[in-house]
Amino acid sequence: MDQQIVRKLTAIVGEKHALTEFEDRYCYSFDSTFINAMPDLVLQPGSRDEIAAVCRVAYEHDIPVVTRGAATGLSGGAVPVKGGIVLEMTRLNHIIEINTVNRYAIVEPGIVTQNYLAAVDQAGLFYPPDPASSKMATLGGNISECAGGPHGVKYGITRNYVLGLEVVLADGSIVQTGNLVDGDMSGPDWTMLFCGSEGTLGVITKIMLKLTQKPQAKQTMMAIFDRIEDAATTVSTMMASGVIPTTLEIMDNSTIRAVENFLNIGLPVEAGAILLIEVDGDPKAVEKHVQHVMKVCQDCKALTVKAAKTTKEADALWKARRSVSPACGKINPTKISEDATVPRSRIPEMVAAVREIAEKYKLKMVIFGHAGDGNLHPNILSNKHDKEEMARVSKAVEELFQAALKLGGTLSGEHGIGYLKAPFLVWELGEEGFQFGKDVKQAVDPKCLLNPGKMFDYRAS
Amino acid sequence: MSEEHVQEQWKKQLVKCIRCGTCRSVCPVFKEENSENTTARGKVQLLEGVVEGNVKLTPILQERFNKCLLCKACVKGCPSGVRTDLLFLSARQANARKNSLPLVKRVAFKGLTFRKLFDTGLRFGSVMQNVFMKKSADGRGNQARFNIPGSGLDLRRIIPPLADKPLRDRIPEKITGENAKGKAVFFTGCMLNYIYPEAGEAVVNILRKNGWDVTVPSDQACCGTPAFTSGDQDTGRKLAADNVRVLSGDYDLVITACASCGAALKNEYGEIIQDEDTRRKWEKISAKVMDISEFVEKFGDPGLFGPLPLKITYHDACHLVRGMDVSKQPRQVFAAVPKLDFRDMKDADVCCGAGGTFSMVYYDLSRRINDHKLDNAADTGADYLVTGCSACRMHITDGLSQRGSNMKVMHTAELIDMAYKSGENQKKGGK
Repeated sequence: MDQQIVRKLTAIVGEKHALTEFEDRYCYSFDSTFINAMPDLVLQPGSRDEIAAVCRVAYEHDIPVVTRGAATGLSGGAVPVKGGIVLEMTRLNHIIEINTVNRYAIVEPGIVTQNYLAAVDQAGLFYPPDPASSKMATLGGNISECAGGPHGVKYGITRNYVLGLEVVLADGSIVQTGNLVDGDMSGPDWTMLFCGSEGTLGVITKIMLKLTQKPQAKQTMMAIFDRIEDAATTVSTMMASGVIPTTLEIMDNSTIRAVENFLNIGLPVEAGAILLIEVDGDPKAVEKHVQHVMKVCQDCKALTVKAAKTTKEADALWKARRSVSPACGKINPTKISEDATVPRSRIPEMVAAVREIAEKYKLKMVIFGHAGDGNLHPNILSNKHDKEEMARVSKAVEELFQAALKLGGTLSGEHGIGYLKAPFLVWELGEEGFQFGKDVKQAVDPKCLLNPGKMFDYRAS
Repeated sequence: MSEEHVQEQWKKQLVKCIRCGTCRSVCPVFKEENSENTTARGKVQLLEGVVEGNVKLTPILQERFNKCLLCKACVKGCPSGVRTDLLFLSARQANARKNSLPLVKRVAFKGLTFRKLFDTGLRFGSVMQNVFMKKSADGRGNQARFNIPGSGLDLRRIIPPLADKPLRDRIPEKITGENAKGKAVFFTGCMLNYIYPEAGEAVVNILRKNGWDVTVPSDQACCGTPAFTSGDQDTGRKLAADNVRVLSGDYDLVITACASCGAALKNEYGEIIQDEDTRRKWEKISAKVMDISEFVEKFGDPGLFGPLPLKITYHDACHLVRGMDVSKQPRQVFAAVPKLDFRDMKDADVCCGAGGTFSMVYYDLSRRINDHKLDNAADTGADYLVTGCSACRMHITDGLSQRGSNMKVMHTAELIDMAYKSGENQKKGGK
């Protein structure tokens, strides 16, 4: 990058917040995937106006701008594959307002999700999306990737809670979409244009979110199955039966064994699969729903169904779920987490397909995840330094996508398209659908400077 | 160890990191600096770059690796079990070999290996310190009168004076009694010896009170932590060998009352000792190393405690909680002391920002990290902050002085000794 431009950009954010040294830029060349690319400059702006000024300079000189939150994404979204500027948003990390009467929050995008969740909880309200990365991920990132989480089954995902956004466009102009009034219909839903757009259409600088009521009571259950197929059938039967659990998580045998090895908490290592189920709401309704859930599990051939008697017991079960990733990491170092998602009714078929693919490519694959909304998270445990194995992995991943699409599913339940899934996007959307996406991108970001090389801007090289 | 061998060792750890970023949620330095170059995963990325030949061991890289408290929060928080502490130590060594250490550090570490010279130096320092230092306004410690080149002393910083008489001059080398319950050797460490001898005396009192024989070898050396954590492995290795020799006696326990000394003797020597014979001897010692709070919890007689009507809170020193797995023990001891009002603070196990030489090089940053600790301590309403590490004690005391707080700081051993003394007084009064 031209030194004069670097000086111009540095002047905008201040010397302390412009990282030019090679060693520092190297630390911004990655996210939570295994792809790397070097940025030319890292800027840590402190305000919307600084961001707009940076975008104007970048626009003038045709420099790519890659917006970055905590870079915990799993599709390569924050990796600057075409170089340029990495715009780190984490200095914009304030809560502007939490309104308990009208139940909304206005926040800056760089706030860590967990810190926001704690503030909402303190205010006596509830914000349901709870991605596994909430301890480090930012809300701006959650919206850009449209994050989900275990609560998604009952409460929906990030997109269901975004009321409006303030966005800086590629040329530095500032627009506001949506409104604090839930039900605003003054024109098309532009907010949704940016939600899940992964930094390819604009830089989100302010977020308006819907809040909801905290559930009064909840109850956790564990159902143990001989065969994973029965667990999968339970999920689809449950969802059809009318009672929607708050969370409905599945763990297959390999996952159970890995977690038990890791935690030693007495999980049933012989079981084909277990379901972790939580229901919440009014205490009386919860009681009724527990009975209902237990009956459905039994009807679907569960060996046993247990309700946690104490909060401690419930916590132990959720700890087991949260420990899946570290437990798997102990088996093989490189964990490739996929999120191909299918309609709930097709879960039994998807489970069978995943198992077949694992066998075909002789890969260690575990299945766990948010079964309740069809998001199974098949994870391939491999070693990135084993080139031959990685070649099999990439074939297996392709087939996973194909299998999901064949069942009427999608490439991404919550991790986004980014760079890694961009080659397959056309499979899901079709040629015309993909072209429409390109046209929209062209209209909003005509010079294609925002997070280039991703999603609709992907070109096979 | 050859450069290649070192990198092979690195690779075993590097491959485990999945860049999930959990380290972002626990690193005290990252929370202040908010830059990926301070996170564990950022440093892992850099080391992977070194292995792949994309990143060179430049002075800038050396600085980035120095900007780490070695508090081990990332190690504990890492879902994939990456031993970032070992990696970063090794990286500091590689950097020190390539770029060398600052002259001041080189001279200081060399000095550590000449125990007698080091001892004489500090005694001389005790006499001469008033030339360079003046009493702080609140009388809690000393401040530098002027910028002392290479001392790493910020003019604002308030440090405790060197003791008039070091600990090891105050107590006999061997204290034995009849029907001893066991034989303990007390590794005092430098800070208890030269700066906080009263805390060291408390340790000896505790051991004696419980009927143990105590040996305090006069020829023990610095544990080596300042040297090997800075990347000077040779000095660290020399000091480790000296101490292994000194502690290889017929002892049942090796008692420590300094978090970093304890963690070094118990675990970290394993990473630096290469000589097989020394290693075998060290392994025997390692199994006997015990922090004084652990000793009291395990072997102490709670019946000896008298009432101690104090409001206290406790700070977990990094190298106690994560270096020696000592955290429950002091709390159990507090619970056993009658009338003691113990109030656990929020984030009690988060680093206080001292980090050894870290607080000299990055004084402002280490003060900001310390401020969170002091806020959390103040929120408990306690009058005393108790901790098992003299370096933390020094840094926290400085922080309290800076903000004009009345909170007092004491060593865990001093509190326990007070509880025993109260027990004695009660007994005397009762008779």
